[in-house]
Amino acid sequence: MYGIVSSVKRDYIVDLAKHGKRVDGRGFDQFRDVSVRTDVIKSANGSAEVKIGNTRVLVGVKIQHAEPFPDMPESGVLMVNAELRPLASPSFELGPPGEGAVELARVVDRGIRESDAIALDKLGIKSGEDVWAVFIDIHVLDHDGNLIDASALGATAALLNIKPPEDEAWTLQEFPIQKRPVAVTVSRINDRLMVDPCLDEEDVADARLTITTVEDGSICAMQKGGAGYLSREQIEEAYHLARTKAEELRERLR
Amino acid sequence: MEKPEKLIVDGKRLDGRMPDELRSLRIEAGVLKRADGSAYVELGENKVLAAVYGPREMHPRHDQQPDTAVLRCRYNMAPFSVEDRKRPGPDRRSVEISKVIREALEPVLFLKLYPRSVIDVFIEILQADAGTRTAGINAASVALADAGIPMRDLVSAVAVGKVEDTIVLDLTKEEDQLGTTDMPIAIVPRKQLVTLLQMDGHLTEDEFKRALDLGFRGCAQIYEVQRQALREKYGVKEE
Amino acid sequence: MIHVRHRELVVPGQLVAEGDYRLRDGAYREGKQVYSSVVGLAYLQGEDIKIVPLQRPYIPSRGDVVIGVVVDSYHSGWVLDLNSPYTGNLFVSDLLHRKVDLNREDIGKYLGIGDLVAATVKDVDERMRVQLETEGFRKGKVDSGKLIEISPAKVPRVLGRKGSMLKILQESTGCKLIVGQNGRIIVQGEDPHMVNAVVQALLMIEREAHTSGLTDRVRLQLEKLKRRE
Repeated sequence: MYGIVSSVKRDYIVDLAKHGKRVDGRGFDQFRDVSVRTDVIKSANGSAEVKIGNTRVLVGVKIQHAEPFPDMPESGVLMVNAELRPLASPSFELGPPGEGAVELARVVDRGIRESDAIALDKLGIKSGEDVWAVFIDIHVLDHDGNLIDASALGATAALLNIKPPEDEAWTLQEFPIQKRPVAVTVSRINDRLMVDPCLDEEDVADARLTITTVEDGSICAMQKGGAGYLSREQIEEAYHLARTKAEELRERLR
Repeated sequence: MEKPEKLIVDGKRLDGRMPDELRSLRIEAGVLKRADGSAYVELGENKVLAAVYGPREMHPRHDQQPDTAVLRCRYNMAPFSVEDRKRPGPDRRSVEISKVIREALEPVLFLKLYPRSVIDVFIEILQADAGTRTAGINAASVALADAGIPMRDLVSAVAVGKVEDTIVLDLTKEEDQLGTTDMPIAIVPRKQLVTLLQMDGHLTEDEFKRALDLGFRGCAQIYEVQRQALREKYGVKEE
Repeated sequence: MIHVRHRELVVPGQLVAEGDYRLRDGAYREGKQVYSSVVGLAYLQGEDIKIVPLQRPYIPSRGDVVIGVVVDSYHSGWVLDLNSPYTGNLFVSDLLHRKVDLNREDIGKYLGIGDLVAATVKDVDERMRVQLETEGFRKGKVDSGKLIEISPAKVPRVLGRKGSMLKILQESTGCKLIVGQNGRIIVQGEDPHMVNAVVQALLMIEREAHTSGLTDRVRLQLEKLKRRE
């Protein structure tokens, strides 16, 4: 939780930022190589593996019967869970999800839920008794920074990949997905904003802002993180970066 | 809850407020005897207590940081604070809120003054009516000042939202549940820097900018009440 | 340019002054601007600005008199709680002021867990390890008296300018006080009524530390309490 970054490394990255450069030579508005592979897990209804540079995240979706929430008896249920598996980083430990995993899952959850990406109202089966539940499980396999963007992209890709369950209760033609939310995280280092921080950059960043947008550029979720601040101008600049980058990432979903 | 026809009638909200109006706000500093610092906040129907303990010795020892104090925050809702009893103990929501509150407060604290120690902030929501995390931040920042922890400024926070296409300040529970968008924001008022920003719902670029404007203005009002609460603890009345 | 009155109550983030002032505690600078970092009283003396906090944690500093509670022991000494994020170490040789052969002597007979010790801070290293010693007047294990705890920020008022308040407290009641910078105070006296008068006065000082004319009010209060004998 409290990783120590050598001051040489910190100064190097911070100093580079001042001169408009990044450790791996990217521009501030440039993602690492992004790849999205879908249908990678046969036992899931939908799945996707996203790689952003060395970061690697696997997302599986399962669709199962569930009881509805009492206040929404005809609405399907969405659940997002994230696991930071110890195989993905020396800093991840066994045990119940820590605040990092909880935040990751909830930020991805809000992007999908608040954009109405899934028409949950079409996923009722029997009012008050039986509905379809969509379980999105995020499995982080290799952590080299920017888990939020990789996981959110993986979740949307996996939803687009869903093959409906073979179950007589399933009556829809196809899985009702109506929006494609994409999260883009902008980090602030030495008062400069950059997208897609790698782990070294994440470790020295003062703050980050994740903005999830849908096709028309409107925002459906935001989350500031990190123990620093952002100015009003930086927030607006972050929005424009996030919107532009989300359009590019959305291309990868086809 | 009976769903009202409209949440905004003739430009006014159900509780009679204008869109850019805060609920009634009362802040009191130094309300708990044992804590090193404390504050009580009433915002509309919200009742929130914050207590600060520390800097004190950090246990477990391996969590000590050699060059700085560690800030720990715990946001907790009392089981009786909401309509349906809340199961006691941390859930995913409160774990996340505790994290973002910590990150909202940390930027103003001079933590390097107290290496190896820990500062604990406990926020208890006694009665909830939307906007509990921002009310908690307002209480915690006054409690930290009350504890004598050196800080650059206070942190002020408020929720902005969208109700029937109108951007409104400081949502009630009803507005939060029936409205479409909730955007909590915390700022360091003197330098106008944002230390917490979350949003769920739907905002266009133009709406987002208006929501930011409203959030900054709301925080400025809260800031004055926070400062006054600290002065009043020592008997200094409004100037 | 000064933006507050002398002894004005200020809060964190409040603009105190603009210009080349020397900053003591409780204030920080951003460019030319000087801001308060605590709730406290602004003291302006020539080019010096300091904010005296009304509440603060106790951080050990060399030369401080402190009153510690023994919380742990090890083969050559004890660990003392100092009402601070940092504990103090007291070697047996710094308690007895002589060399101790640890193979021959069981040091358990000198101090036990829970014992109260008046000590001086001998040294604080950069890792905030605190060494204590008990050399000097009224130092060492405290065997009698009443312990009270006040906020460390209020200790300077208990002592008063050049010890004036302490003098009043002791001379008008016949009690002896050991005042720790860490907010712990021992009141020793034959007459329980007088001890109680001092305790009441100390609590009043803590409550009203930020007001002026405190010395006179304490004197009056002590007279009143004594008369109720």
